[in-house]
Order: sequence, then structure tokens, then C-alpha cells
Amino acid sequence: MIFQRFDVIPVILLMGTSLSLLISQRWRYTLISLAVQYLAVFWLVALVWPLGLAAIKLVVGLMAGALVGSLQPPDEIVEEKNAGISGGIFRSLAASLIWLAVFSIAPGLLNWVPTQPVILWGGLILIGMGLLQLGMTTRPLRIIVGLLTVISGFEILYASLESSLLVAGLLAMINLGIGLTGAYLLAGPTMKDAA
Amino acid sequence: MSAPLLWIIFPLVVSAVLWFLKERRQLVILLSAGLCLFLAFLAWRVPIDSLITMGPISFNISSTLSFLGRSFILASNNSAFLILIYLIGAFWLIGASVADVPNTFAPLGLALISLLVAALAVQPFLYAALLIEVAVLLSIPMLVPLGETAGQGVIRYLIFQTLALPFILLAGWAAAGVEANPTDQRLLIQAVVLLGLGFTFWLAVFPFYAWVPLLAGEAHPYVAGFVLSLLPTVVLLLMLDFLNAFAWLRAYPLLPEVLQLVGSLMVITGGIWSAFQWDLSRLFGYAVIIESGFSLLALSLGNQAGLQVFAASFLPRMLALGLWALSLSIIGKQGSANFNSLEGLLHRQPFTAVGFLLAYFSLGGLPLLAGFPMREILLEGVAQKNLMVAFWTLLGSIGFLASGFRILAVLAKSSEKTWQIQEKWMQIVLLTGGGLALFLVGIYPRIFLSGVLNLLRAFQRLV
Repeated sequence: MIFQRFDVIPVILLMGTSLSLLISQRWRYTLISLAVQYLAVFWLVALVWPLGLAAIKLVVGLMAGALVGSLQPPDEIVEEKNAGISGGIFRSLAASLIWLAVFSIAPGLLNWVPTQPVILWGGLILIGMGLLQLGMTTRPLRIIVGLLTVISGFEILYASLESSLLVAGLLAMINLGIGLTGAYLLAGPTMKDAA
Repeated sequence: MSAPLLWIIFPLVVSAVLWFLKERRQLVILLSAGLCLFLAFLAWRVPIDSLITMGPISFNISSTLSFLGRSFILASNNSAFLILIYLIGAFWLIGASVADVPNTFAPLGLALISLLVAALAVQPFLYAALLIEVAVLLSIPMLVPLGETAGQGVIRYLIFQTLALPFILLAGWAAAGVEANPTDQRLLIQAVVLLGLGFTFWLAVFPFYAWVPLLAGEAHPYVAGFVLSLLPTVVLLLMLDFLNAFAWLRAYPLLPEVLQLVGSLMVITGGIWSAFQWDLSRLFGYAVIIESGFSLLALSLGNQAGLQVFAASFLPRMLALGLWALSLSIIGKQGSANFNSLEGLLHRQPFTAVGFLLAYFSLGGLPLLAGFPMREILLEGVAQKNLMVAFWTLLGSIGFLASGFRILAVLAKSSEKTWQIQEKWMQIVLLTGGGLALFLVGIYPRIFLSGVLNLLRAFQRLV
């Protein structure tokens, strides 16, 4: 199958999209990166799940991204601190440290988590980059993107351990819930309670 | 009919209906509180899995509801838990009628309670993590009403609670592996570490608790109080459920020591930080941390007394936290909850000030109040195991109490000669009722706390 033959491509895609999510200062690029990231997540999950079930990850991810993106929040993505070139370089260096750590610890972790190396790489990269995102920002949009990234990474790993339909459904619900929460946190301040 | 249908699905559906009526706030609050009381009454009177005959009609409430191959089970030994959780819900919802809460509080609060009941009922356990995460996401609109910006506390609350999810799910997978192969030490360590990290995030265990005082300081005090008292209660019961279910976890030799260390660190650091705190709302957060610490210490005793203290502490804790949150809501209407703006509050709002002080000192473990009997037994038990830990824990409690005496001095300080009563009559009734309840539970602990011990019937391998 084509997915198995080119199974390193999604890992490379995940490295690129997660870096883009970390350094991007424009919400359009952020949403495009998020969409591509979910495509790569789908690719990796499809290595261990049936295609139809793996497609849930893609559809739900795109929907969660669309929920956040529907508000088109241009100011919400711009970091107040470390926004310039130096900030971008700093974030890129931090990201490269995460990648280095992932590729160093992955062989050891394969003894603990019985799965394919590419799945472990992809999952750990997203978890690491998501945590980095969460640790470097106070912006709600970036926080939501960080949480979606961490959960996506976990979903890649978990897919190789558990293939329950109910878990897949509930995780999809949580992804959508995080997207909705993000939309609420972004739109809420400008809205007024009816009462 | 099945018990999960009655105690989970029914309130969830009602909460969805009440959402559309939320503009009529008082009505929705009364309906939600009434439903909680009704469900608590049903849990008390209606037997599960037995034939019920009402005149010519006879029916059976089964304990199990199957959904997509998984089960929600509420057996007869869960009755005490159902009574407790729905009484807690009714207690908070009744108080909400005078606490000026956002419109979303009652419908979302009811949904939150039913989701947390579902989390304790679901089999296998790992699904509880997903249901708790849904509850956390649902609590965000309660904590950040429309028109307000989310602060750092809410954001961190969302992050830390969400981070617990992967750990608990992975722990569930590892636990299944340990059940299949109990001799595999590597898998055992993996399961314990993952489970420990999951509960660390859920319970805001040291050092991941910075968001608790932040959240308490940012959100509406009553809403924050509801979330911060309900969530740890359910997570602690879930922890007991895990211990009850897994023999390998109960037998893990380092577990008592880890629980003792973590619990005492929470009490010590929480107590010390609270001694330097100048905001009553943030102090509430530290009180929640200290209470979670004491619960972990009770579990660390690993005997019958520890379990009884663990269960019996729920009632005084809930009473005190509820009274504190209600007092803060009433204070909040008049201005800030900072010490500087509270001078002379005892002269302006005597019922609120006294209610707050009683709640505070009950949580601090002052004699004659509800928190004292269990605190005394717990410290005695800890001292028998490790005197140093008991000493440091006592020091943490003293730090918390010291702040209480500081507050007492500030509230009583006034140049005014006259006394005013600015509270409304309903507020006075609830504050007085709460204060009296704290005294009564403190003076007659056996009468009031023995019923709560029925909670332990659901954990028969631990008793």
C-alpha cells in the first residue's frame, strides 16, 4: 500500500507543520499548517487502522481547525513577546532540540510501546512540539492549537495500541470540544450575554 | 429502566432543556436544585436490581446500561455515592440562587454532575478520562461567561486537565497488560507511573497546582468553588475505584510512601503560601490544594481508619467550601476580595464575615468545627507512621490558620461604632444555616458523618 511505502513522508510533514504552527504569526498559515498536520496524522494512523476509521482523524481535525478558523482572529495569533526574527530563530532552535530528543529516545521507547518507529516518531514529535507551544504562549488561539497538537500526537501513538470504535468516537468528540472551546474563548470577549 | 438512565441520561437531558430557558435564571436554578434533591432521594429510597412493587405495577431498575459494547454500571453499593454527589449538587445549586452566578451555571452545573457520575459508572475505567475531559470542556463557559476574557488560571486549568487524558488512557492500556501478565515488572512500573502522572494533573498535585489559586482568583467565586470542589471529589473517588479494582496497584510497595510525600508536600506548601496571601479568592484555591493533600495523606495510611477519614472528610469539606464560596460571592458584589478592601466587613456584613470565618477555620481544623474531628484522627494516624511528616503537616495547617487570624483582625478592624446588616434575608438564612451545620457536624461528628461512610461499600476490596 502507498501509505506503507512512503511512511517517512508524514513524519517529515509533521516536523514542518508543527514548526510552522510554532513560528507562524498569521492565522491563515496556522490553519493551513493545522490542516496539513491532520493529513499527516491520518496517514500515520492509516498504517495501523482501517482507512475508513483513520479518516475520522482527518475529518475531525479539519472540523476542529475550521471551528477555530471560522472566527478569523488576526490579532490572536501575534505574539507580544519574541515575535520578530530573533523570536523565530529561538523557536526553531527549541523545535530542533525537541526533534533531537525524539529521535534519541525513540529507540529506547520502542521497548515500552510496541509499535512501528515512524508512528513513535510522529506521535512524539507532535507531543513535544505541542508541549513547547503550550509552554511558550499565553494566547488562547495558540494554546488551543498546542492542545490539538498534543492530543493528535497522543492519538497517533494510541491508535497502535487500541482500536476501539468508542474510544475513537470519544476522542473525536474531545477534539471537536477543544475546537469549540477555542472558538468560545476567542469569540466570547466580544459577545454579550443575552440576559 | 436502568439506573444509569435515571441518574446519568435523565439529568443530562434535563440540563439540555434547561439551557434553552437559561434567561429565567432563578427558575432554572430551582428546577436544577429540585431535580438534584429528587435524584438524591431516589438513590436513598429506590433499590437497584430488585423488584419494586407500587400497587398493581411492579418494575425493576437494573444496574447496567450498555452502550457501543461498553457498560455504565450503578449498582446498589453505589447508592451512597449517588446520594452524596446529588446532595452536593443540590447544596451548590440552592446557594447559587443568592450568589449572582452567570445564567449558564445551573444547566451546565447539572450536566457536569451527570457527566462526573458517568465517569464513575463507566466500565472499563479508562473511559472515565474521556468523560472527565468532556466535563472540563463543558465547565469553561461556566468559568468564562460571555463578554469576559479568559485569564491565565482558566487557560492553565484547561491545559493541565487535558494533559491528564493521555496519561490515564495509556495507563489503562498498561493496566490491561499487567492484568494479563502480573509478573512483568517493566509493565507494572509503566502502569503505575502513567497512572500517577494522570492523577497528578487531575488533582493538581504539587508542583502542578499553580493554576488552582489563579483560577479561584479570576473566575466568579461561586462557580470556581463549584468546579474546584466537585472535580477533586470525583477524581479522588475514581482513585479509590482504581485502587479497588487493581490488586497490583494496592500491593505496590512504594504507593503509601509516595501518597504520604505528595500529600504532605501539598499541605505544607499550600499552608505556607496561604500565610502570605492577600486575596480571599486565591486563598480558596490554596484551601482546595490543602484539602486534596489531606485526602492523599488519609489514603497513605493504608488502613481502615485512613479510609474512613478519607470518606468522612467529604461532608465537612463540602460544607466549608460552599459557605466560603457563598461568602466570597456576597463580598464580591460590594468590591474586591483583597484584604485592604475588607476592613470593617464584620460591621457592614456580619453574617457574611462570620460565615466566611467559620468556613475558613473549619478547613483549618479548629476545634468545635466540622473539619476538626477528621483532622485530629488523621494527624494522629500520620504521627504513628512518621512523626516528622505529621510535624510538617501540622506546620502547614498552622500557616493556613495564621492567615485566618490575620483575616479576622482585618475584618474586625473598624472605626465605625454602628453595625449594619447589608445582606438580603435569603443570604442570611443560607449563611446562618451553613455556619450552624459546621458547628453541628463538629460537635456531633458520629451522627452526621457515619452516613457518609457508606461510600466505602462500593470499594469492598479496600474495606
